[in-house]
Amino acid sequence: MSDAHGQDIPQHALQRLAGLRSQGHPDGIFTSDFSVNEFLLVRKAGFEPVGLCVGSCIYHLGFQFASWGANQELDVLSTAMYEARALAMERMRLEAAQMGADGIVGVRLTVKRLEWDAKILEFVAIGTGVVHAKGHQGFKGPKQQPFTSALSGQDFWTLLAAGYRPLEMVMGSCVYHVARRGPLATLGSVGQNVELTNFSLALYEAREIAMERMQTEAAQAGAEGVVGADLHEGSHNWSPHVIEFFAIGTAVLPIEGHESDDIPDPKLVLSVNS
Amino acid sequence: MGLFSRDSVTPRQRAEHEARAAAWEQALARQSLPSFVVDRLQNAAIGKQPWVATMTPAELLLAKSHGVKPIATVSGTCWFHYGWSWTEGHEEGWHHALNRIRREAVACGANAIVDIRMRTLRHSFGPSMDFTLIGTAIRIAGLTPSPDPIVATVPALEFVRLLEMGIVPVGIAVGARYDWLGGGYGNGWGANAWGGQQTQWQTSVFAGNQPLTELGTFWEGIRRDAHAALRANAAAMGNGVLAHTHFGEILRQERDKQPPAYLGRHIVVGTVVDTPRGADVPHAIEPVVDMRDGVSPLARTGEVRHAVYDTDPSEEEGSI
Repeated sequence: MSDAHGQDIPQHALQRLAGLRSQGHPDGIFTSDFSVNEFLLVRKAGFEPVGLCVGSCIYHLGFQFASWGANQELDVLSTAMYEARALAMERMRLEAAQMGADGIVGVRLTVKRLEWDAKILEFVAIGTGVVHAKGHQGFKGPKQQPFTSALSGQDFWTLLAAGYRPLEMVMGSCVYHVARRGPLATLGSVGQNVELTNFSLALYEAREIAMERMQTEAAQAGAEGVVGADLHEGSHNWSPHVIEFFAIGTAVLPIEGHESDDIPDPKLVLSVNS
Repeated sequence: MGLFSRDSVTPRQRAEHEARAAAWEQALARQSLPSFVVDRLQNAAIGKQPWVATMTPAELLLAKSHGVKPIATVSGTCWFHYGWSWTEGHEEGWHHALNRIRREAVACGANAIVDIRMRTLRHSFGPSMDFTLIGTAIRIAGLTPSPDPIVATVPALEFVRLLEMGIVPVGIAVGARYDWLGGGYGNGWGANAWGGQQTQWQTSVFAGNQPLTELGTFWEGIRRDAHAALRANAAAMGNGVLAHTHFGEILRQERDKQPPAYLGRHIVVGTVVDTPRGADVPHAIEPVVDMRDGVSPLARTGEVRHAVYDTDPSEEEGSI
């Protein structure tokens, strides 16, 4: 059977629709949280999903005293936020390695507060393990470990089409205590337009630290660059002057032999169906 | 009358109402359908009654060009009371609803049900909930009716596109699991009955930065088991599961003179597909740039199709 455009529906699909065949896949089943479109694009890129990979870490945060008027990094919290995520990612990667995956696509990192204890956070890393359909080994990450990538299935196809391959998700965290202003300083600025330099400075410094850490990780992974880098600011139920800056992105490396001439020119379209 | 050509609603006679209620009761008990439902579905199938579809005009266009014919809107509902387990009650509730929607599809001689949505009412009566599935039964030109119609959560538009690429969305798989750490009921009398001690030390006032190993291992085990249940359920239908919905939570229960106990529960629901490994994607993919300012219709995000398990990120879960 074929449609009006001569596109055939494969035989196995027709059998299934007529109820003639119910199963019969000796090589097991895959699970994935891909959408249909993501699945198709990952396939188009030459990869097949093998299974959902999840790593989680329930973490108890230590305590650190911050002096009232000081701009300072709270390194106990920075360490906790980094270590917990790293553990979750490492466990996810272990699951991927166990199922023989070449890498993990569409990784999402989440932090969840547990309502019964403010000092406990649950970190989850979740993504779909994929293998190269023809067994190409050149897509593994550092140390022959599965690569990790925060990119969606669509972005994964586009990245490969651009001649890059993902290596590893890289991140940096900095939890910073922003100093309160003293009473004299507050009095001095009554009725004036002034920059609160110590606040500006604190934000700059905290962001800089997080970015530096991420960049260092990328360099260690042997990457050429980092795509999809993003900076998140969050305060996980901490006091109002404590902020976490979290930088995350996917470290990439050029695919050997790929020329920029290989990239098709995007077509310009104007959608009129709005 | 006069102005309106339509008939006004004629209230049903009491006797008729009772007869229908009795027919429903019998049908549910016998796992069949009342005769008036079978009549309605069969009449739609042979064209004596109009067909009813949840499709949009665009979907209808593509369906027609690919030989797909809508027959009727079919549904399956099960209001389920969870006695001994909330978690496993959910798994069972969905399975009942799936069996019932399939029964309606068989009655109208369908090959597949597409555009299936999972729904539930927002109010609950005690420890119970309704599990409802609604979709469109379809027939494919040139094929005989299937004794076991496939169940697809994708709309007709995507359904046809998937078939062309050798991917058949065949059903919905559910995996659910719960357990207790420390004390507990149900599954908790097993290996974890004496747990919770280590977690209590690790979360005490003097505890520093550390991963909660006992609670973490316990939680990971539940999640693995839920996924294993999902895979086992899916293996009977196809060879892959896409588009998961997750729902999981850990609850703490304080206990007298003992460390607190923890209840963990996890539910995974996904669309099962049947596809040969490494099948070709016949369509070329062309990168395009939309020249429209503002929001492009090309960039419109898909709607959420299963809103049963809220995983609203704004509530308590933050990305990153």
